[in-house]
Amino acid sequence: MSLSSIARLTGAAALVGLSAMAAQAQTSGEPIKIGAIVSATGAGAGLGIPERNGLLLAEKDINAKGGVKGRPIKIIIEDDASNPDTALSKANDLIFGQKVVALLGPSLTASTVAVGGVTHPNKIPQIAFTGIGPAVERERKCVAHVLPPQRLNAQALLEYAKSIKATKVGVLHDAGYGNVVMAELRPLADKYGVKLVAVEKFEIGATDTTTQAAKVKAAQPEAVFIIATSATPFRNVKQIQIAQPVIAAIGSSSYEYVNAMGPAADNIAIPEFVVGEDPLPHQKAFVDLYKQTYNSTPKNYEAAAWDAAHIIATALTKAGADATGEKLCEAMKAPYTGVLANYNFSADDMTGIPISSFVFSKIVGGKYTRTPFRVAQ
Amino acid sequence: MQSRLLWIAVALVIWAALPFFVPRNIADLLVFTGIYTIAGLGIGLLLGHCGIVNLAQATFYGLGAYASAYCTVMMGLPSIVGFVAGAAISMALAYVIGRPILRLTGYFLALGTLALSAIASALFFEWDWLTGGTLGIGGIPKLNLFGFVLDRPSRYYFFVWIVAFACMAAAHNLVDSRSGLMLRAMRDSSTAAAALSVDLQSLRTRVFVVCALFGSLAGSLFAHHASFVSTQSFGVDRSISFLLIPVIGGATSIPGIVVGALFVTFLPEFLSKLGDIHQILFGLALVAVVVLLPDGLMGAFGRLRTRLAARQGNHAR
Repeated sequence: MSLSSIARLTGAAALVGLSAMAAQAQTSGEPIKIGAIVSATGAGAGLGIPERNGLLLAEKDINAKGGVKGRPIKIIIEDDASNPDTALSKANDLIFGQKVVALLGPSLTASTVAVGGVTHPNKIPQIAFTGIGPAVERERKCVAHVLPPQRLNAQALLEYAKSIKATKVGVLHDAGYGNVVMAELRPLADKYGVKLVAVEKFEIGATDTTTQAAKVKAAQPEAVFIIATSATPFRNVKQIQIAQPVIAAIGSSSYEYVNAMGPAADNIAIPEFVVGEDPLPHQKAFVDLYKQTYNSTPKNYEAAAWDAAHIIATALTKAGADATGEKLCEAMKAPYTGVLANYNFSADDMTGIPISSFVFSKIVGGKYTRTPFRVAQ
Repeated sequence: MQSRLLWIAVALVIWAALPFFVPRNIADLLVFTGIYTIAGLGIGLLLGHCGIVNLAQATFYGLGAYASAYCTVMMGLPSIVGFVAGAAISMALAYVIGRPILRLTGYFLALGTLALSAIASALFFEWDWLTGGTLGIGGIPKLNLFGFVLDRPSRYYFFVWIVAFACMAAAHNLVDSRSGLMLRAMRDSSTAAAALSVDLQSLRTRVFVVCALFGSLAGSLFAHHASFVSTQSFGVDRSISFLLIPVIGGATSIPGIVVGALFVTFLPEFLSKLGDIHQILFGLALVAVVVLLPDGLMGAFGRLRTRLAARQGNHAR
């Protein structure tokens, strides 16, 4: 490297540093407090910890870019220990004690619905890190969701099956998350011309699902859907040598599960949103910043939390830091292009994520590779 | 006597004033303390007076909560119907299950109740047509007393605690009654009690049914407070935390149940400020209480009082 190029690089680095400092220096005044509830401990920690990372990074990024009209934001993060009762107490503290202007999270559906019982009547905007849950959530027009409804997850599985021309599909699903997706999958399968030749359910936390996997194999499907939050069914499917393509729902897309699957993870296809190893152009800045900060590759939940924080900051910039909850809520409803997906919170499902936001990855040697397949809107 | 009355009056004034002076999240925790006190009372009766370890209280708590949720949300019935339906189903189930399993004793009985809790937890998941499964049932209305809506913790606090005091009075009467004497006789020596023609099984079943009633009441109160019920609130872990209430507070003491309920609601909240290790710290605190204070916090308090009184007596001499 020549001296002049070193000088140019140093100059550029200094410029970036200075501009960052200038941007940081722009924030002044009392921070705008935003509350967040995640499941950092307990059964939901696999979601809550990445979400907390995403929130902390977003806070840093928003403040480095001048905050909200020059005022910094402060995200106060609380842990609900994966317990809806605790989430309720934390929400009361954040809203009435700490006087936050909006609430991000929680990580789990039960906590989200419980917290919505406080945010909705008190007109506090909430952006949950879950897909829409029971019917009552459709009435809560200021409780937005940054993850897709289960119907959309079911649709994405079927789109992939259609793309590989599989018309006979076997399903292995757990009794919790898998059951909810399955309820949406059944009526949709007919529309896609897909016949569900075997549907086998297993208990949450089951340590062996070989019997169910064998029944699916016996039905001779052309592809197998696995809808669960566990690595066990993937290992069992490999053990009994099911050779057909395996398509996993987003629930088991984290590195944690893929590592637990071991060699059984190879060739599994997953409809999801963020492939950190090969991000889409609009995801690259987030992925690079995340890798730089945490020295690891982000996935969907980090991006969902990052998006939620940016959406609320954008709404605050638009409506003003002192805007009422209702005004903030209105501002939040404008279409937003996020890292995870494109959102439109005025949609009926309080998410508005289009199927075209999905990317489809395949696991090769424990790493995710993004396939060229996308669904047009 | 007069000083005792004065203490009671002061305690009542503090109780009545508390929700007006504490932040909303503390009022919310006090509501949960009341709810857990009711659920813990039943366990305390079984543990302290019958020597039975009940690990199935979350089942009755769940039945009460789901009955209230289903009756009000799915059927549009008044809240009282949910309370009554939950109590009736819980008591009937406790009777039917209690008759056979209460023949067991010691660890086997504890395991029997644990099995009941595990089965109920699985059914709450599986019967999603009734319970909403993983998604649960949301939109449970707040209680409305003659047009006065109990829609915030400071209001609900009074209702929950009045119910809790009524349950405490009922438990006190039971312990002080002829049945209470029989219970203690059975706990201390079941053979001797049987020789005195105490019908052990019937007595145990009756207390198990009362315990289920308290559990169901607590569950219905929880449903109307949280406005949402899902399987996550009624797992085996919840049964264990209910059992901790009398173990920590003191199983034979009714005020001890309140102390135990305060411990399991407030301590995790305060420890959560210390970061992700809060659950480990809570575990350590539990171990410390169980090892150092085997008869609970109220037992330790009682011993301290006796020791102080003895010391004062010595000084007087």
